[in-house]
Amino acid sequence: MEDKNKNIQKIKKFSVELRKNILEMAYSAGAGSSHFGGALSIVEIVSTLFSYKMRINKDPNWDDRDRFILSKGHACLAYYAALCEVGYISKEELKTFEKDDSNLLGHPVINKKLGIDFLNGSLGMGLSLGIGVSISLKKKNKNNSVFVVLGDGECNEGSVWEAAMAASNFKLDNLYAIIDKNNFQQTGSSQDIMNTDSLKDKWSSFGWDTVSLNGHDIEELYEYFNTSQDLKKPRAIIANTIKGKGFSFSENNNDWHHAVLTKSLYEKGLKELI
Amino acid sequence: MDSNQKYKSIFVEALSLDKANFDEKIEYNGVPEWDSIGHMTLMSGLEEGFNISIETDDIVDFSSYKKGIEILKKYKVNI
Amino acid sequence: MIVNERNIKIWSTIGSRASFGIAALELAKEIDNLMVLTCDVSTSAGLDRYRKTYPDKYLDLGIAEQNMIGVAAGLSSEGYNVVTTTFAPFQTIRCCEQIKVNIGYMKQKVCMVGIASGLALGNLGFTHCCIEDIGVLRTIPGITIISPADSFETIKALESAIKSKNSSYIRLTGSSNNPIVYKEDYNFEIGKSVKLKEGKDVTIFCAGAMVYNSLQATEKLRENGISCSVINMHTIKPIDKNAINDACRNSKLLVSVEEHNVIGGLGSSISEHLVTVKNSPNLLIIGINDIYSKGGSYNFLKEKHGLSPDKIVNNIINNLKQSNNG
Repeated sequence: MEDKNKNIQKIKKFSVELRKNILEMAYSAGAGSSHFGGALSIVEIVSTLFSYKMRINKDPNWDDRDRFILSKGHACLAYYAALCEVGYISKEELKTFEKDDSNLLGHPVINKKLGIDFLNGSLGMGLSLGIGVSISLKKKNKNNSVFVVLGDGECNEGSVWEAAMAASNFKLDNLYAIIDKNNFQQTGSSQDIMNTDSLKDKWSSFGWDTVSLNGHDIEELYEYFNTSQDLKKPRAIIANTIKGKGFSFSENNNDWHHAVLTKSLYEKGLKELI
Repeated sequence: MDSNQKYKSIFVEALSLDKANFDEKIEYNGVPEWDSIGHMTLMSGLEEGFNISIETDDIVDFSSYKKGIEILKKYKVNI
Repeated sequence: MIVNERNIKIWSTIGSRASFGIAALELAKEIDNLMVLTCDVSTSAGLDRYRKTYPDKYLDLGIAEQNMIGVAAGLSSEGYNVVTTTFAPFQTIRCCEQIKVNIGYMKQKVCMVGIASGLALGNLGFTHCCIEDIGVLRTIPGITIISPADSFETIKALESAIKSKNSSYIRLTGSSNNPIVYKEDYNFEIGKSVKLKEGKDVTIFCAGAMVYNSLQATEKLRENGISCSVINMHTIKPIDKNAINDACRNSKLLVSVEEHNVIGGLGSSISEHLVTVKNSPNLLIIGINDIYSKGGSYNFLKEKHGLSPDKIVNNIINNLKQSNNG
């Protein structure tokens, strides 16, 4: 119990730091704007993975590390923030976000030194990469896991379902797909654009062990990742989230899919974080 | 070498078979070596060995060692 | 692989696809981390024997080409030496963006093999032909593009591509009973064209199955008093600029012959270099003239699209006549 509380506190603290880093990066992006909303909705997920669940150490290229793939690449603010908190990216480097010649662009570009293992941004491709990595790990008899974070809008892409079908065909029980179900995509709600209500049924019918969780409830995420099961199936988590979660001005407001963070909002955000 | 021996030796070479244990009941897809690649290699060997050009229909119909003997009669090869 | 007259004849008989399968089988013996991926085309790609012999070095992703490229990249990221294959249009255009992102941009090394490219499956219609693959892939940085002239060159190309550090696309043309261009062993090097014939009037650049047709054409052209060089430009990207420069110095006319759209392929690539060469001779681009025609047999389509030896001859003769008159 003590361990559980300790871990949960650790993850909560990590989440606060992530939101702080995201705020800083979004502000320094200035007029270039950033994908603020979709990064904030995955903060608790990313925090639980990077500060608790994933097997990682100081070496971003440690051969025995768990792998992370941000298939919804535009949520990279959360990813870069996490890589900073685990020591792979410096705070100075974070400030170069979206600047000319930067290593940290609006979608992750592979950079092994900084711990960015893959290149993402065109939606629908990350899960296929995950399958290749999962199969490789099994062939090498490693018991590492691969965590792929997808968006709910991203599930509009047919290529996601090719991968979903293949993963269960190959019984990749070392593969996790975490779907950030924030119910919005770029120009509107998923209800209006392309309905994703039955995502849980869809993933389940494709042969994945599928659960539906509150994506901001750290205790729920912790309990899930703490339960080990011998399933011979890949695992899908439909994480119910709120786009823009964490700041009053951005929560559930799709204007924050990609927007400019002004000085006043930045200051407001800082106050809300404390 | 008479035609019979030649025919057999072409099979043995094309399909990398064991000469000592050769079975004349051999059929297409009946042994691992006589797959589609083995078949084309065999046809090529027969064409070269008997100086003939085998028609497509006959390539398709050539389903066994015995059937082959029938087919080759058409090309004036008597085994 | 043992190179002798008998094997060259066998590879020619079985065609480039089955030769690819045999080459993969042979390479799997020495390359521990080889992985061959297909999309439900093992038998069409001559991989049936490979699949049975090396099941742990083989993966069938079903009819899902975009997924196959992602999986290939994932395997490559973990140190595997990956080959992917399916029919050329599905290997290239279908999963073009996945190729761009995973192979071009992320630079995960993969060797892609497009089977039955060009017009070989014309009786199935143009969905199963491919006259666009070179044009499309040339615009993705970082991908070597090879079009082998015959079954033997297919084997050499695969070996080189697998051993190379760069990603590549190998475009297989021709069908079974693939005419033999190389009767004996020779040096194959990615990026270095091979001069098959020396002549003083015209230089014909060709690739894939059009190499044989071009060689046939030169015989007839010689009878008409036209002396031709024939250059097998097996590597279309990076193109052998030295060979082009050389031809500019030594020929009155340059010709390119390809089983591909005249837009975007070998001819286009040559012309892109020619604009940098002062006073270069004219370039006659022979290929499919930007059209999806009615289908038919391979020979029928080659004839229809001006790619038979006779049609190539007539095209060159007419072109020379016109430039003499003009």
